[in-house]
Amino acid sequence: MASELTQYVVTGLLVGGVYALMSIGLALIFGVMRVVNFAQGDFMMLGMYLTYFYAVALGIDPLLGALVTIPPFFLAGLVLHRVFLARVTGGGDPNREMDAQLILTLGMSLIITNATTMILSPTPRAIRTTYATQAFALGPVLLNQARTYAFVMAILLAGAMYAFLTRTDLGKALRAAADDPEAASYQGINVRAMHGVAFGVGIALVAAAGGLLATYYPIEPNVAVNFIVLMFVAVVLGGLGSIPGAFVGGLAIGLVQSLTLLVLPLQLQNVGVFVAFLVVLYVRPQGLFGRRARTV
Amino acid sequence: MSARARGYVAIAAVVLVGLVLTFGISERYHHRILTLVFLWATMGLAWNIISGYAGQISFGHQAFFGIGAYVTVLLAAKLKLIPWIGMLGGVGAAVLAAVLIGTPTFRLAGIYFGLATLAYPLIFRIVMDYLGYQEVAIPMMREQPGLFMQFEDPRAFDLLALGILAATLVLSRLVETSRLGYSLRAIKENEQAAEAMGVNSFRCKMYAYMLSAAPAAVAGAVYAHAILFVVTPDAVFGVLVIVQTLTVCLVGGAGTLWGPLIGAAIMIPVSETLDSTLGDKLPGIQGVVYGAALMAVMMFAPEGLYWRVRSVWSGRGGEAARTTRPTPVFAVASVTPAPAPRASGAPLLEVRGISKAFLGLQALSEVSFDVREGEILGIIGPNGAGKTTLFNVLNGFLLPDRGEVRWLGAPITGLEPHEICRRGIGRTFQVMRVFPRLTVEENVMVGAFVREGAPDRARARAQDALARMGLGGRACLVPTGLTTLELRLMELARCLATAPRLVLLDEPLAGLSSDGVELMSSMIRQAPAAGVTVAIIEHTMHAMVKLADRLVVLDQGRPLAEGLPGEVTRNPIVIEAYLGKRWLARHLATQGAIDAQDHRP
Amino acid sequence: MTVLSRCLTLALALILALPLVGPPPAPAAEDVKIALVAPLSGRWARQGQLKKMGAEMAIDEINSQGGIKALGGAKIVLREADAGDSVEKAVSAAQRVLTREKISAGIGSWLSSFTLGVTEVAERLQVPWLTLSYADSITERGFKYTFQTSPVSSQQAEQALDLVVDLAKKNNQPIKKAALVGDNTAATVFFFKPLREKLLKEKGIELVVDEVWTPPLADATSIVQKLRNTQPDLVFYGATNFPDSIQVLQKVKEFGLKTHIQGVGAWLVTPEYVTTVGKELLESIQSVVASHPLKGQEELVKKFVQRTGEPFMTQDPLCTYAHVWLIKEAAEQAKSADPKAIRDALAKIDLTTGPAAGALAPGRIRFDDRGRRIGAVPLIVQWQKGEPFTVVPTALATRPIVWNK
Repeated sequence: MASELTQYVVTGLLVGGVYALMSIGLALIFGVMRVVNFAQGDFMMLGMYLTYFYAVALGIDPLLGALVTIPPFFLAGLVLHRVFLARVTGGGDPNREMDAQLILTLGMSLIITNATTMILSPTPRAIRTTYATQAFALGPVLLNQARTYAFVMAILLAGAMYAFLTRTDLGKALRAAADDPEAASYQGINVRAMHGVAFGVGIALVAAAGGLLATYYPIEPNVAVNFIVLMFVAVVLGGLGSIPGAFVGGLAIGLVQSLTLLVLPLQLQNVGVFVAFLVVLYVRPQGLFGRRARTV
Repeated sequence: MSARARGYVAIAAVVLVGLVLTFGISERYHHRILTLVFLWATMGLAWNIISGYAGQISFGHQAFFGIGAYVTVLLAAKLKLIPWIGMLGGVGAAVLAAVLIGTPTFRLAGIYFGLATLAYPLIFRIVMDYLGYQEVAIPMMREQPGLFMQFEDPRAFDLLALGILAATLVLSRLVETSRLGYSLRAIKENEQAAEAMGVNSFRCKMYAYMLSAAPAAVAGAVYAHAILFVVTPDAVFGVLVIVQTLTVCLVGGAGTLWGPLIGAAIMIPVSETLDSTLGDKLPGIQGVVYGAALMAVMMFAPEGLYWRVRSVWSGRGGEAARTTRPTPVFAVASVTPAPAPRASGAPLLEVRGISKAFLGLQALSEVSFDVREGEILGIIGPNGAGKTTLFNVLNGFLLPDRGEVRWLGAPITGLEPHEICRRGIGRTFQVMRVFPRLTVEENVMVGAFVREGAPDRARARAQDALARMGLGGRACLVPTGLTTLELRLMELARCLATAPRLVLLDEPLAGLSSDGVELMSSMIRQAPAAGVTVAIIEHTMHAMVKLADRLVVLDQGRPLAEGLPGEVTRNPIVIEAYLGKRWLARHLATQGAIDAQDHRP
Repeated sequence: MTVLSRCLTLALALILALPLVGPPPAPAAEDVKIALVAPLSGRWARQGQLKKMGAEMAIDEINSQGGIKALGGAKIVLREADAGDSVEKAVSAAQRVLTREKISAGIGSWLSSFTLGVTEVAERLQVPWLTLSYADSITERGFKYTFQTSPVSSQQAEQALDLVVDLAKKNNQPIKKAALVGDNTAATVFFFKPLREKLLKEKGIELVVDEVWTPPLADATSIVQKLRNTQPDLVFYGATNFPDSIQVLQKVKEFGLKTHIQGVGAWLVTPEYVTTVGKELLESIQSVVASHPLKGQEELVKKFVQRTGEPFMTQDPLCTYAHVWLIKEAAEQAKSADPKAIRDALAKIDLTTGPAAGALAPGRIRFDDRGRRIGAVPLIVQWQKGEPFTVVPTALATRPIVWNK
C-alpha cells in the first residue's frame, strides 16, 4: 500500500532528522581533531537536562530551549578541550593520539553519567509538551508533531552549521585545520584553537539535538546508551569527517530502520541498519561522502 | 642471554607471580579479581595481536569473545558436550568468523575498519536475543563439576585463566619475534611502504586476525564459566567488553605484550576496589573515580604506561655516540652474490602508453620508455609533471587507465605492490616513509624478509645492507635519531635488502646538503656495477645530468624528450617547457662535462 | 606531569588508601546481616534504589520492635552491594558481599539475568536468596537456596488471561482479538510464549498483532499502526525499557487508539509515568504484577510515602520489605542466624500472618521444592487518577476496577 510505504518513509525521515543532528557534532569533532568522542552521547544527555531545566524553571519551550543550550555547551567544550583534550591531541601523530583520546573520552563519559546519576537522581523525567502526542495528518499519513518540529529544527541547525562552515572565516579555518593541519598552521591558523572550537561546536550541536529529542523522549542519566551506536554508525556511513555526510548518514539510518520493517521482523530492526551499514562501506570504503585517502 | 630467551624468561616470571598469587590469596572474592585480571589480560593480548601489532584498531573483538562463550555454553546446555571440547568448537567458529569478517572488512582503512568491525557483535547481539538466547544459564553440574568447567575451589579458575594467559603470552611472543611480527609492525607504521617492501599486507592482517580470534574465544568461554554463570548477549557481545579490552590495552600500552598485563593488573583491581569500598556505600562514585583515573593515566601517559615508563627509563640512552661518521661504501661484495648482469642495454622494464587521470586531471598521458639493464635512468620534469605518479603506477600503488608495464618480459600492470617488490623492483619515496618506531635495523629487516624467511637470516642480511651504507653503528637507534642523510641511506638500505634488480628512487637527494648530495650520488653511481639498475626522479637538472646515463623528461604527464643528457639539455622543446633559455648559458661550463659524460663507455 | 594530572593522581591515591586507613565500625557480633544485591548505579539505579528503600523500612520496623526475639533481640543490618549494569558486576557484588562477612540471607537483583548469576553464587556459598524476579528459569535449575516469591511468568500469563477474560465478559465486552506487544526481555518472553502458543487459542481469541522488539525501540509508529488497523480488544504490553514504553503510550494517544492495555509487569506502575505522560493518558491502564499494596496495607503505604517522599509504593520496595520480614520470620523459626538453618526454615515455612504474608497475595507463604511460592497469584493493578491501585482480586483490592473502553 502506497500510503503505508509513505508512512514508513515519513516516520524514518523524522526519526533520522534528529539522528542526523546528533551525528554532525561527532563528525565535526572527528573531522577536525581526529577524536572519537566516546562521551558524545553523554553531552547530549546533559543537553536534555539543561533543556528540561529551562522548561521547568523558566517556562521555555524545549524547541527554543534546545537552541539556548548551544552557548553554554560551546563554552564548556572550549574549556574541556583546553584542560583535558589538548594535552593528548593536536600533537600531529593521529594514530597514537587516537588511543589516548579514546580512553580519555571514555573516562569523561563515566564521570558524566555517574555524577549525573548521583546528583540529579536516576528517576526519569520528561518535558510535558502537548505536541508530543499530537500528529499532523497529511492524508492517511500521520506526522507526529513533536518529531516534525524537531526535524525542522534539526534541518535548520544543520543548515546553519553548513553555512557557518562554508561562508564564515572561522568556518573555513576549521575546515582548513581539518583537511591539512600543517598547511593550515603555515597559513597562520591556530590549529589548537580550531580544535577547541570544533569540540565546543560539536558538543553544542549534540546538546541541541538532545534538547530537541527531549520534546518526545524521557530524560535519564543513561539515555545516551540508546543512541550512541547509531550516532557512530551514521558518522562512519556518511564518511568520517564529512558534515553533510553525517547528516545524510543520520537520515539514512532513520530510513533504513523504518524500511527494514518491510522485510524483517521488528526484533531484527537494527540488524537491517548494521547490514546496510556494512554493505555501504564495502561498496564505498570511505563512506558516502568521505574522501579516499590520498595514496603515496 | 638472547633477547628471545629473555622474553620467555619474563613470561615464566609472570606465570610464577600468577601462581604465587593463586595460592597465596585466601579470600574468594580476591580470587575472582585475580581470575578477572588474567582473563582480561588474555583478551587484551588477543586484541593486541591485530590492533596493537598490526595497528588495525578493532572495536569488534567482542564478536569472537561472544562466539567462544555462546558456542561453548550452548553445546554444553543442548548437547551435554563438555566445555573442554566445546571450547574447541568455539575457537573454530571464532576463527572462521575472523576469516569471514576480515575478508571484506580489511579493505577498509584505519578507523573505518575499526568502526565497521563494531557492527558484527552488534548484529550477533540482536540475533541471539531473537533466537531466544537472552539468558542462557549454565546448568549447574553437581556431579563431575570439573568435567563441565565448574569448580568449587576458586583457585581452579585462577589456574585455568592463568593457563590461557600464559599460552596467549607465548603466542604473542612468537608473533612478535617472527617474520609475521615484523611485517605487522611495518604495516602499522606505514602500510604502503610495507607493501613496497614486499609485505603482503592483506595476508598478514588476516593471519593476525585469525590468531587474535582464537584466544579471545577461549577467554570468552572461560569467562562465561568462571565469572558470569549466565550468558547474555549484552554480557559477551556488548560494548562493555570492548571497553574493558581497550581500557586494559591502552592504559598499559598497545603493541607490546606487557601492555595488557600491566593494564589489567592495575585497572581491574582498581575498579573492583572502588566498587567494594566506595561503590556499595555511595553508588556511582566509583564510576566517577574510575573515570577520573582513566583520564589521569591518559594525560600522564598517552601512549600507555609501559611505553611511558620505558621511555623515561631509557630515554637518555638514545643519544648514541655521534663521533665518527664512517664513509659509506657501496661494496661489490655482498652476502649473496649479485646476479650476473644481463647483456647490458637489454630492457628490464618496458613502459608502454601509460595514462592515468584523477578527477578530470590528466596526470599521465601516453608515457612510454624503457629502463635498460645496468643504466641509471633519470626521470625529470617540473613539479606536477607526474613523476611520482608514474612511479606509483610502476610500483603497483596505482592502476593506470590505459597502458601496460612489462618487467623481464612479463606484464606487471595491476599487480599488488608487494608482488612487484618480490619480482625485483624496489622503491624509495619522495617523502621518506620510515617505520618510525622500529629501529634502523628492524626497518631494514622488513625489506630483508622478502628474501629470507627466518628472522635471524633477515637480520644478517639487514646488517649487511646497513654496513654497506655505513650505518652499522646506527642499527639499534630509532629513526628519529638520524640525520636526513642517514635516513635516506637507511631507506636505500631497506630497499636494497629486498635484493632488487631495479630500484625506483624518488628524489633521493632532497633535503641533503651538498656533501650529502655528493655522497648519495656516489652511492647511486655504484649501483649498476653491483647489479642494480636505477631509475631516479629528481627535479634539479643540475644534479641529474651528473648522475644519469639517460634522461626521460616529463611535462604535465606527457613525455617531452628522451635521450642522453647532452641531447636533452639542448632540446628546444625541453628548454621551452622546463629549462628556460638561460639554463644553457648558465651551465655552459658544465656543458663540456655533460658532453664528455655522454660519450663515456 | 601537569598540575592537573598530578592533582587527579593524588586524589586517586588518597581514595585508594581509604580502605587501609580504617574499616567502618564493625556491627555488633550478634547482628543478623542481610545482603541486598541490586543495581544502585547505572541504567537501573532507580529500581535498585527503590528496593533498598523497602528493605530499609522493614529493617527499621523490625529493629524498633525489638529485633529477632529468638536470637535475643538481635538487630538486622543491611549489607547492600551495587550490581551496577552488567552481569559481571552483579555477580562480583554477590561474591564480595557473601564472602566478606557472614550473611544470613540475601535479596535481589531485579534484572532476571542478574538474579540468575547472583543466585548461582548464593547456591554455591549456601546462602538462601529471595527474589521477586518473574522468569521461570530462576527456579528451574534444581537449586536449593533460591526462593522466588512472585508467581512465575508463564503462570501469570494463564491466570491473568483468565482474570481479564472474565472481567471483560462481566462488562459485556468479550475479547475476540488480542495483541502481544513487548520487548524480548526474559520475563516478557516467558509471559508471551504460552499465550502465543496455546492459551489464546484455547479461549478462542485471535492473535492479530504480535510485535516484539529488541530494546531500544526506535519508533512506535509501525506497532501502533498495526494495532489501529486490526483494532484488538486487548493488548498485552511488555515494554520494560522506560523510553520504549513511553513512546508506545504516546503513540497510542496520538493515533487516538482506543483499546484495553494490559501491562505485564510492575515497570508500568512507577511514579515517573505520571510526570512524563500525565495521568490522563494513564487512566484505566492496567498491569499484571506480582505484588502491590493490598487492602489492609494503607498504613504501610503511608509510612513509606512519608519516609521516602515517593508518591506511592510499588512492587520493588514492597517485595524487599516483605522479603526482609520473611527472613526475620525464618530466623525466628530457625532460632539461628546461620544461613543453612534459615534456608531450611524457609523451605518448610508456612506463614499466614505478619507483614510478609500480608504483602504477598493471597496471603500465605509456602514454598515448593523448587523454591516457588505455592499458590502465588498475580494481581491486576490499575491507574486511577494518577495512582496505581490493586483492583483484582477484589478481596484484596484497594479500589474497585473501572472498566471502560
